[in-house]
Order: sequence, then C-alpha cells, then structure tokens
Amino acid sequence: MNTSKKQASIFSGVTLAALAAVVLMPLLLPSATLATEILIFALAALGCNLLLGYTGLLSFGQAIFFGGGAYVASLTMIHLGFGLLGALFAAMIAGAALAALVGLLAIRRTGIYFVMLTLAFTQMAYFLAYTLSDWTGGDNGLLDVPRPPLTLFGFEISDLTSSYAFYTFVAVMFMLIFVFARRVIHSPFGTTLVAIRENEGRASAVGFSTNHFKLLAFVISGGITGIAGALYAMLLNFAPLSNIELLMSENILIMTIIGGTGSLLGSLLGAGSIVMLGDLLSSVWPRWMIILGIALIAVVLFMPSGLWGGVESLIKRWKERRSGASEKAAKEAEAK
Amino acid sequence: MSLYLFQALNGIGLGMIYFLISVGLTIIFGLLNFVNFAHGAYYLLGSYLCFTLVSLTGNFWLALVVAPVAVAMLAWVTEKTLIRRAYHLPHTFHILITLGIALIIQELSIAVWGPIGKTVAVPEALSGVFRMGDFFYPKYRLFVILFTAVIAVGLWLLLERTRFGALVRAGSEDAETVSLLGTHIHKLFALTFALGVGLAGLAGVLAAPIRGVHPFIGPEVLGLAFVVVVIGGMGSFSGALVGGLLVGLVQSMMTTIWPQGASLMIYGAMAVVILLRPYGLFGRA
Repeated sequence: MNTSKKQASIFSGVTLAALAAVVLMPLLLPSATLATEILIFALAALGCNLLLGYTGLLSFGQAIFFGGGAYVASLTMIHLGFGLLGALFAAMIAGAALAALVGLLAIRRTGIYFVMLTLAFTQMAYFLAYTLSDWTGGDNGLLDVPRPPLTLFGFEISDLTSSYAFYTFVAVMFMLIFVFARRVIHSPFGTTLVAIRENEGRASAVGFSTNHFKLLAFVISGGITGIAGALYAMLLNFAPLSNIELLMSENILIMTIIGGTGSLLGSLLGAGSIVMLGDLLSSVWPRWMIILGIALIAVVLFMPSGLWGGVESLIKRWKERRSGASEKAAKEAEAK
Repeated sequence: MSLYLFQALNGIGLGMIYFLISVGLTIIFGLLNFVNFAHGAYYLLGSYLCFTLVSLTGNFWLALVVAPVAVAMLAWVTEKTLIRRAYHLPHTFHILITLGIALIIQELSIAVWGPIGKTVAVPEALSGVFRMGDFFYPKYRLFVILFTAVIAVGLWLLLERTRFGALVRAGSEDAETVSLLGTHIHKLFALTFALGVGLAGLAGVLAAPIRGVHPFIGPEVLGLAFVVVVIGGMGSFSGALVGGLLVGLVQSMMTTIWPQGASLMIYGAMAVVILLRPYGLFGRA
C-alpha cells in the first residue's frame, strides 16, 4: 500500500466513490428527504466509526452528542435567532463539549467499564432531557424547529425550503466532513489512534499519552455527531426525545458495524442500507427492528468487516481475475 | 419520620431487585469475561412471562418458579447456539451479539404482548398492608425484601459452599486451568450464563406487581445494573449487594425530595463515584 500518496491526494478513489454516491442518491431514491436522512445518519456513523473502527472504542454515548446537537441547534435558532451556519457551529461545539465531558469520565476506565459508562451516561442524558422539559419539550419533543436560509457574507444563497436544496446543502456538509475525517485518519494522529486500537499498552509504552488521544478522538466524534443531530432537527423541523435515547446510540452503532468498521465508505453504506430498510419496512411491519438484531448478530459472527468488507473482497476478486495470476506475481516482484 | 422509614424500606426492596439483576451480570462477567447486554431484555421477558402465567392461571407462585426457570432455559439455549460461537472473538463482539439478542427479544415481546404496558396484580395472600403500631407497609413489598434476602443467602452458599460455586470462582480466576484439570468448561459456561440470566428473570417477576411491565424497560434496567456494578465493582458479590442497595436507597429517598430527578440522581451518584474512585467502591484495578 502506498499510503503517502493516498495521504497527499484529497480526491482519492474513496472520496470519489463517496461523491458519486452523494450525486446519485437523490436520482435513484424515491425522495430527496430519504437521501438527506441517509447522509445525516452516515455522518453520525462516520463519527462512531472514528471511535470504534479507528480507535477501538465501543461507545454507547453517540445519542448524547446527536441529541445534544439537535437540542442546542434548535434552541439557539429559536431563542437566540442563530442562522443556519451559526446553529450548526453551536451544535458542533455542543457535541464536542459533551463528548469531552463524557470522555473525561469514561476514559478513566478501559475495556468493558468504558462501554458500560458510555451507556450509563446516555441514560443520564436521556433523563436530563426528560427532566428539563421546559427547554427540551420533554416527551413531546421540541416543536417548530426552523430551517433557516443559507446565507454567506450577507448574501442569501438558498432558502433551503425545497427538499432538493436542503439535500444539496447536507451533501456539501457531508463531503466536507468526509474529507476532513479522511485527513484525520491518515494523519499521524490517526495512525496513533490505530496503534491504540491494536495495542494500547504498547502505544503508551512508546510514549504516547493514550488518554489524550482517546479524548481528542472522542471530541472529534462528538462534534461530527452533533452536526448530524442538528441537521436531523432541521430536516424534521422537530427535535424528538428519541434523539437522545439509548436506542439512537444503538442504531448508530449498528449502522456503523453493519456497514463495516475501519472504512469510511462502510459508514455511508451501513447508514444507507438501514435507513432504506427502515423506510421500506416500518410502515408495513412495525417490528422490523428484529431484522436489525438478526443482521447485527450475523455480521458479527460471519462477516466481521461488514457490508463494505464484502464489497471490497468482491472488488479484489474481480481485479485479480482480470489481471491474472502471472501478471500479479510480476507486479509484486517489480514492487519489491 | 414514618415516611422516611417507608421510603427506606422501599429503597431496600428496590435495591434487592437491582442486586438480583447485577449479581447475575457480575457472575456471568466473572466467568465468561463479557458483559451481557441482553440482561435487561431477559428481565423484560421474566416480567412478561409472569404477566402471562398470572393472567392464565391466576397463580403468582407458579409464575415465581416457572418464569425464571423458563428464562434461564432460553438463556441456556442462546449460549449453546449463539454466544458459544463467539468465545474466541474480542469482547466487543460479545457485547454486539448480546445487543442483537436484546433487540430481538424486545421487538418479539412487543409483537406478542403489544406496545402498551401491562399490570400484574399482587398475589392475594400478600395483598393489603402489614401493620405495626401506627406504621403501615404493603405486605408484598415486605415479601420481596425477605424473599430476595433468602435468595441472596442461598446464592452466596451456592457460590461459596458448593462444588459448582468453587468451579465458577476458580474459572473466574483462570478458566483454562480449570478446563485442563478435567472440568467440562463449556458446560460450566452454559450453566453460569443460565443462572445469571435466570436471576434477571426472577428480578423481572418480582418487580412486575410493583412496577408493572413496560416493553421499553430493558435499556433502563440495563443502565441501572451498569450503575450498580460500576459503583460496586464488577465481579464481586458484595459489590453488587452494596451497590444495589445504595442505588435503590438513593432512588427511593430522592423520590420524596425531587421526584422527576430521582433517576437522574442515580447517574449523578455514579459520576461522582467514578471521579473519586475510578474502580468503584470495592473494585480492584
């Protein structure tokens, strides 16, 4: 693998594949709203993947950042009159700050305790949102969340009222964050995260302050997930309490895992397949989540690299067949 | 004053139920070395089976015996068919498999029993209140405290005084050696998983007449059990007992002071413990 070349180029194959998916989705899917929802959850899965796939941290806390981002964006728009980008920025900061708070406490413990703490903090955040019903609307959710127009330097670029306009905006945000996430994982910081995932003791023995790295990964993940939550509130014009429920954390985790950890395209694939499955089935069969449970178990047992892993091995097999074994051997000799 | 005594007793009852849930989680973790994220779902199943048995036969005592055993048997089958296949995989994989099981159980329960909660009547022999001077206390809640105390002692004897308990404790230290010494370790794993999950089922049965059955209670129960073991330390019987009682008491005392925030305070207490003693009150590093 020629990683240095990969690092240098923003427009690598992976980014182009994501771009192609983003362009094709609204054309192929029945509605732009569905495509928007896919990209929003792909962002949340991306944030989760940075933790699970690249740092080896299984976090059940993603709903805190998702729901927190949704609430903060909504409240700053409603009460402080924040614009679109201002509200998204506020949501990013809120997600990052919440992640720092949860991370500071949870990272004190490793392994299973860490996982349990993130779950317990999600429950805590849920009860907090439930208790502060004056702000969050409690069980009813926060209603009448606006979707402000996109303005840059005083010029209104689009009012975002049409679902295609909003999709385009979300798609641009997605691509920016996707490229950012790629830069992060291919930076020395990202390789250190992988080192922590592979062997935390060794990474720490080499001299890395692993807790600081884990915390920063947590903060980045929280910021991305906060933006996703804010976009979701703008899409629905509504911030339901279910945003901050444990089930939301589980959904984001399941999308990440079924899509495939350790590959950013996997997150897009996972979010896409599960959001579409939900869209197809939830009206016909309200208990469709049983399938998610079965799929999760099946992926973990039989396909640990997820759907994207399956796609990758297909591509590899296809390439091998095309180039032929002898050519491949020659190439390998040349590379050496 | 009697209000505080009342709430203290409520807290002890609640705490003992939390103890049953967490001690099961702890025993499984000790031996099998993974956290059962389906624990709350099995609790839910215990509650629902109790509801069905009581509404079919009208006999709570039958439900008290049959429902936990049925839950334990289901757990045994799950271990044999699914969880066993993952022992060689990393911890996160076990968590994810049990998370999948939890989702399946929860959704199936809604499919069978509907999305709206159910109530279970208190058994006739235990309806009404126990009276001592001018102090009243519901008989059923008193029964829960006494019954769980008996179960706790029995469980302690099982773990400390029997061959099975010795094997479980030895296996928790070093499963491989126990296996090399001639114990069928997979049988032991399956039995322990069934025992731990059965305790969660029992907790679900006991709680059903007090709190009713609600299809989304699983995650809440799981979260509470995690708070208990984070406070008390994982893998310790006494930690689960003290942690369970502490959480139960905090919750019921807070109900008198700030009802909406009672659940919140438990998690706050956990955060404080983590800040001051990262390894829990009784935990080892």
